[in-house]
Amino acid sequence: MAQAESSAATPFETDFWKDAKLRKVWDDIVPGEPRKTLPYKLTQEAIALYCRAVGETNPLYLDEAAAKAGPYGGLIAPPAIHILLMFACTPADDWMRSPGTVNAGQSWSYSIPARPGDTITLQARALDKFIKRERLFVVHDNVFFNQHGDVICSGRGQTIRPM
Amino acid sequence: MTTANFESLKAGDTIDGPAFAVSRESIRLFCDASLDYNPLHLDDNYMKGDFGKTNFGGIIMHGMNNFGLISRMLTDWALPAGAIHRRLETRWLKPVKPGDTIRPAGTVKAKQISAKSRWVLVDVAVQNQRGETVAAGEAMLEFPPNAKAG
Repeated sequence: MAQAESSAATPFETDFWKDAKLRKVWDDIVPGEPRKTLPYKLTQEAIALYCRAVGETNPLYLDEAAAKAGPYGGLIAPPAIHILLMFACTPADDWMRSPGTVNAGQSWSYSIPARPGDTITLQARALDKFIKRERLFVVHDNVFFNQHGDVICSGRGQTIRPM
Repeated sequence: MTTANFESLKAGDTIDGPAFAVSRESIRLFCDASLDYNPLHLDDNYMKGDFGKTNFGGIIMHGMNNFGLISRMLTDWALPAGAIHRRLETRWLKPVKPGDTIRPAGTVKAKQISAKSRWVLVDVAVQNQRGETVAAGEAMLEFPPNAKAG
């Protein structure tokens, strides 16, 4: 399922229109079918950028010396780093990137923190799809693991698919 | 703001989150941080179109930016007490746009003791500068029995 590790060597495509035709539309999505995913090396730079975007200042995420003396014995990522991991671990033709995809709600459970240097993998699939008030919904089922096979977090989300 | 202490916490206790000023720049920064470059967050021309029965009229903030702010509030409250942010469920109620100022808040709903640990359920919401609730949900925090402030 996994392909080459995503990294700086293969720049992230920020134009979500470019591969739009390769992506599955609601009709094509098969609940239960695993999505193609990519391992992703989480860096301290990526964690720091996420922290800046939401105003996180906790030294556990940003200050190596303070984090080392803290409860986790080293730097960790904030729990909600899965916001980044979701896009980092999916390829350009994944339907999460379809322009006009609207996030309709999410729930996430946290087991252990991700850490800088971790190679993160994702197991993901659509679990269900349905129609409500003339809108096309998909239910997502996602689990992120570290390189030791430990679960970092698991989540369920709903998106409204573009028509 | 209520102290994160399992013994003394009770339903109705409140948790305050930070105000967050939303701008085109903050949304663009969130694109870079999340790698979510959906044109909903970037392209005003695209956003002039209709989405089913909805027209947003311009770019909107990522729903997950609300999620990240709520998570930040919970960890800033819980971590110093040795408590752990274990779950967050949210849904989006209104779009957030450049120029808005949003702020998350929490209200303790219930406490629960299980076979091996202790849990606090918190209702969470994000409001904009008009007092409208733009996101709402529920969080679960674990207060391990050996937590220093437990």
